[in-house]
Amino acid sequence: MPVAASAIYFLNLRGDVLINRLYRDDVGGNMVDAFRMHIMQTKELGTCPVRQIGGCSFFYMRISNVYVVIVVSSNANVACAFKFVVEAVSMFKSYFGGAFDEDAIRNNFVLIYELLDEIMDFGYPQNLSPEILKLYITQEGVRSPFSSKASDKPIPNATLQVTGAVGWRREGLVYKKNEVFLDIVESVNLLMSSKGSVLRCDVTGKILMKCFLSGMPDLKLGLNDKIGLEKESQMKSRPAKSGKTIELDDVTFHQCVNLTRFNSEKTVSFVPPDGEFELMKYRITEGVNLPFRVLPTIKELGRTRMEVNVKVKSVFGAKMFALGVVVKIPVPKQTAKTSFQVTSGRAKYNAAIDCLVWKIRKFPGQTEPTLSAEVELISTMAEKKSWTKPPIQMEFQVPMFTASGLRVRFLKVWEKSGYNTVEWVRYITKAGSYEIRS
Amino acid sequence: MAPPAQSQRSPSPSQPSGKSEVSDLKLQLRQLAGSRAPGVDDSKRELFKKVISYMTIGIDVSSLFGEMVMCSATSDIVLKKMCYLYVGNYAKVNPDLALLTINFLQRDCRDEDPMIRGLALRSLCSLRVANLVEYLVGPLGSGLKDSNSYVRMVAVMGVLKLYHISASTCIDADFPSILKHLMLHDSDTQVVANCLSALQEIWSAEASTSEEASREREALISKPVIYYLLNRIKEFSEWAQCLVLELVTKYVPSDSSEIFDIMNLLEDRLQHANGAVVLATIRVFLQLTLSMTDVHQQVYERIKAPLLTLVSSGSPEQSYAVLSHLHLLVMRAPYVFSSDYKHFYCQYNEPSYVKRLKLEMLTAVANESNTYEIVTELCEYAANVDIPIARESIRAVGKIALQQYDVNAIVDRLLQFLEMEKDYVTAEALVLVKDLLRKYPQWSHDCIAVVGNISSKNVQEPKAKAALIWMLGEYSQDMQDAPYVLESLVENWDEEHSAEVRLHLLTAVMKCFFKRPPETQSALGAALAAGIADFHQDVHDRALFYYRILRYNVSVAERVVNPPKQAVSVFADTQSSEIKDRIFDEFNSLSVLYQKPSYMFTDKEHRVPLEFADELGNLSIGEAANNVVPTQMVEENDKDLLLTTSEKEETKGSRNNGSAYTVPYDGSSTSVFASQAQIESAVSNPTLAGHSPQASFAIDDLLGLGIPATPAVPSPPQLKLNTKAALDPSTFQQKWRQLPVALSQEISVNPQGVAALTAPQALLRHMQSHSIHCIASGGQSPNFKFFFFAQKFEESSNYLVECVINTSSAKAQVKIKADDQNTSQDFSTLFESAFSKFGTS
Repeated sequence: MPVAASAIYFLNLRGDVLINRLYRDDVGGNMVDAFRMHIMQTKELGTCPVRQIGGCSFFYMRISNVYVVIVVSSNANVACAFKFVVEAVSMFKSYFGGAFDEDAIRNNFVLIYELLDEIMDFGYPQNLSPEILKLYITQEGVRSPFSSKASDKPIPNATLQVTGAVGWRREGLVYKKNEVFLDIVESVNLLMSSKGSVLRCDVTGKILMKCFLSGMPDLKLGLNDKIGLEKESQMKSRPAKSGKTIELDDVTFHQCVNLTRFNSEKTVSFVPPDGEFELMKYRITEGVNLPFRVLPTIKELGRTRMEVNVKVKSVFGAKMFALGVVVKIPVPKQTAKTSFQVTSGRAKYNAAIDCLVWKIRKFPGQTEPTLSAEVELISTMAEKKSWTKPPIQMEFQVPMFTASGLRVRFLKVWEKSGYNTVEWVRYITKAGSYEIRS
Repeated sequence: MAPPAQSQRSPSPSQPSGKSEVSDLKLQLRQLAGSRAPGVDDSKRELFKKVISYMTIGIDVSSLFGEMVMCSATSDIVLKKMCYLYVGNYAKVNPDLALLTINFLQRDCRDEDPMIRGLALRSLCSLRVANLVEYLVGPLGSGLKDSNSYVRMVAVMGVLKLYHISASTCIDADFPSILKHLMLHDSDTQVVANCLSALQEIWSAEASTSEEASREREALISKPVIYYLLNRIKEFSEWAQCLVLELVTKYVPSDSSEIFDIMNLLEDRLQHANGAVVLATIRVFLQLTLSMTDVHQQVYERIKAPLLTLVSSGSPEQSYAVLSHLHLLVMRAPYVFSSDYKHFYCQYNEPSYVKRLKLEMLTAVANESNTYEIVTELCEYAANVDIPIARESIRAVGKIALQQYDVNAIVDRLLQFLEMEKDYVTAEALVLVKDLLRKYPQWSHDCIAVVGNISSKNVQEPKAKAALIWMLGEYSQDMQDAPYVLESLVENWDEEHSAEVRLHLLTAVMKCFFKRPPETQSALGAALAAGIADFHQDVHDRALFYYRILRYNVSVAERVVNPPKQAVSVFADTQSSEIKDRIFDEFNSLSVLYQKPSYMFTDKEHRVPLEFADELGNLSIGEAANNVVPTQMVEENDKDLLLTTSEKEETKGSRNNGSAYTVPYDGSSTSVFASQAQIESAVSNPTLAGHSPQASFAIDDLLGLGIPATPAVPSPPQLKLNTKAALDPSTFQQKWRQLPVALSQEISVNPQGVAALTAPQALLRHMQSHSIHCIASGGQSPNFKFFFFAQKFEESSNYLVECVINTSSAKAQVKIKADDQNTSQDFSTLFESAFSKFGTS
């Protein structure tokens, strides 16, 4: 059996129960005590997300300041259970308007109970699709603590059932203006050695879609990925257009995508759910364009002084710019005093994380600002051994840039009423784990 | 359900204490109960909300039960829902009051709004009060026939709930067969999925007592059902897809074309956005192709990309779950993943549970082409701030070195570790250098030069100290000041708290003595004196043994203590392959994360004795090595040192691929042990010298492994077996050790049987139908191993069988042990006839 969760708990960081839902009687009511005693109050917390205590297994995840704990007594499918929690939390978020934390839970507990009743029955996951849940949920999410009144809206008629064929979309949707928003969000992961060679580098991307379309539209998405283009040129028996093609290592799709058609024709075609959803995810390891190069030189001058020079080069187009660039340069714990010179942005020493934090709000392409800092250390007798340097870490967002080079070639919308649609496409590349050893 | 009040021991100070608020609420509810004033529903909502919030934070509001029920006469669905929630929470502790709710719940079950019907039915079934089950049958029956799928979906789960409250009521009402019908005919896939979950649970539970139920359970994995579900799989929700896929793994296709059909059908599931679906699909692919080696390899290639994607997407907890599975696969097929080793590089901010798995994977995938890069990366982690991870990565370097790739570079690295001057790095590195030396004695020169520079004062950890002492003893001729270092260690005998270290010190001083007698003599004397006076039994015994053997004959002592060494070629794995295969069979479950088969952590009786299964796997080794036992005391301690599993303390068996040591480390072991046995007896009782055969008999007797009993006396062949035999594994294990082999024979397997063995479960089922039960099984094509047991009808006389089947030679080696030796021949005939029918019936 895939999950058969015996109970689910939401706890705050102190271990107080925010919500508890016992689905089956095969675990005792004191399970939450066991969790508090054996996991929360020990060093075990955070060392492993799956623990066995007595005859039960606990799966737990921390999400902001809340622990979500699932208790099972059988040999459950862990991946499924975690996925379920993640999905449930993202659904709760959409009901509460973004945040999932202790306050949101306290303000929405009736709603959460209602949802927990619908999404899981006797420990088996039921329907988590928001479209279908809308039919059964009476409470409205509480978005702010001040307006906690239940909804007065007429309850949607549950008999208006979705048809089995397209479980994720209701029929009879009408929009005045038909619009589709497409966001290609990539996060680029890098691990660079101290000698400047790339040890590991990959891009995980997702295509997020927001659809406000009437009726039952059929959508077709074309990308500049290699397999798709080759297939297309084969079918039209003409050579592929020149230009960059992308080789995707792996793709996964939202359940709305017709996978049979993707495998045979290599086109992404689908009937979208209403509103926001994640259309596809992909992973690329070859031919990644790194947006930034970091060139650090860190010299230890004697036992109490360090000289830090970091140059960051932006290697994307000169017309583009990156936003929210943060470079974190680790320094030893016993740092006493720091002084900086930066050619752009601002830098300061953050003692809480033992880092020099250099922030540049707007970072144009093809530039290379530098930071040079002098660090004075408290001399300690004990610390004679050399300091182990954590890597330099970077955060950034580069709009209109994809590290993979992926581009949307077309997005076709077809609906039997033949309305016109407006399509919006955005690209953005963010830093995943961007680490440079120094 | 216990009221949450009990589980909330320390309500925070800000929370109300309860008493007065509850009575206040009671009053207000009572006022509202009869009121029909406009807006009364809104005030009720507020009150209900308060009640539920008290309930959640753990204040006992069960005293409001009556009032809540009174107020529930409403058409407002929001109120109803809250009321249902309240009732569900407290009905179990107030069974009498629960009766009050039956009425309105039953009425709601006939409401015209399907949502209310469904909700009421769900609440009715969630009351969980045993004496109210009679009220459930009617509403459930009509719920299952409801025109609305939501109600049917709820009703199906209701049947399962009813089964758990009162199995007999559920069976008597014939609900399972209704579910079966629904499963195959309902248009709504969630109803189908719920039927499937419910039926699986009900029939599995019933199967032990009812033949029909076990037949029904088999029918769930029959071709028509499986095909019906597979053909509709795309209509199911992602969770239900997991359920179906799990069922498919139990299905045994009749031929390879069927296997390919299923795989083609499910191919696109590997691209599903839900990782759980992807993993479930992977499991189907792996299980289906187990017997087709080539295709199995292709499957590995195919699933690689999706798995790596799953690892890098999602929360760390999800990655952990996926990585555990990837780890299992990497261990089975390291070469498949060897070019993707960079995916297993650790990120700085990753939680340690993820890093630990990645380190193990880096170790597993290392081969000629990537060792250099991997070891370079691992060395980076040795300086990691997270000390357990740093230690782990040093061990990983050592393990790779023992895998024989590019040892040259690795030895240099390890020696660099020794020079890093961090206590824990030195400690780990010492243990590794010791292991390396045992495998590659040719490196002794380089290593000893560095090790010689380490001051024993800087080494505190027992494992590391023991390793250093072992090297001092073993290489005392190469280390200039070995005798003096040992001497100073002996001088501080009393300050040495670890018995393990003291034991090694004794042995090392002995070894050193044979190599450099004049310099060591005084140290040896001091060590023996201190050892004999030691309070620790083993230390005392060893010292005494050394003392006596030295007195008996110094050259014999040298042969015993300091025999010529042979390099160890393979460090054995601690986990038996059977256990590993069992875990693989339970792919996509907790077993993989815990690295033990499910019976070890779900069955109550197995929770503690985890050693059982390991031992079962090692039984044959144990038998072969029986003559070694007399010297076990000595060997044991050497073994301890020689284990590479210094991680024992930290990872507490959570990751078990550290190498244990089954190959005796002295090449000349057997002869030495034999002579040692002789000597021991000679020392204690000189008259016995030269009569070692007798001695070993005595030892055999001691171990309960005496000469097989007299051949079985023929007796009437009518042997009836108990169809419901039960034997718990620990008893099995005990008996298997105690009983002599009554019969050992070779049976040939018919070709159909060989074919059917593609799924070992098939054999288990087959034998079970002949009342022969399997207790453990495992193996990989072509070799399978099974342990069976059977019980005599109406008697508690057991038969234990070990059956090793080689499918390529179509032969099975069968060993039978029996409580009652006289009937073992009959049982053997029975076993053989049952076995020969396998595949043909």
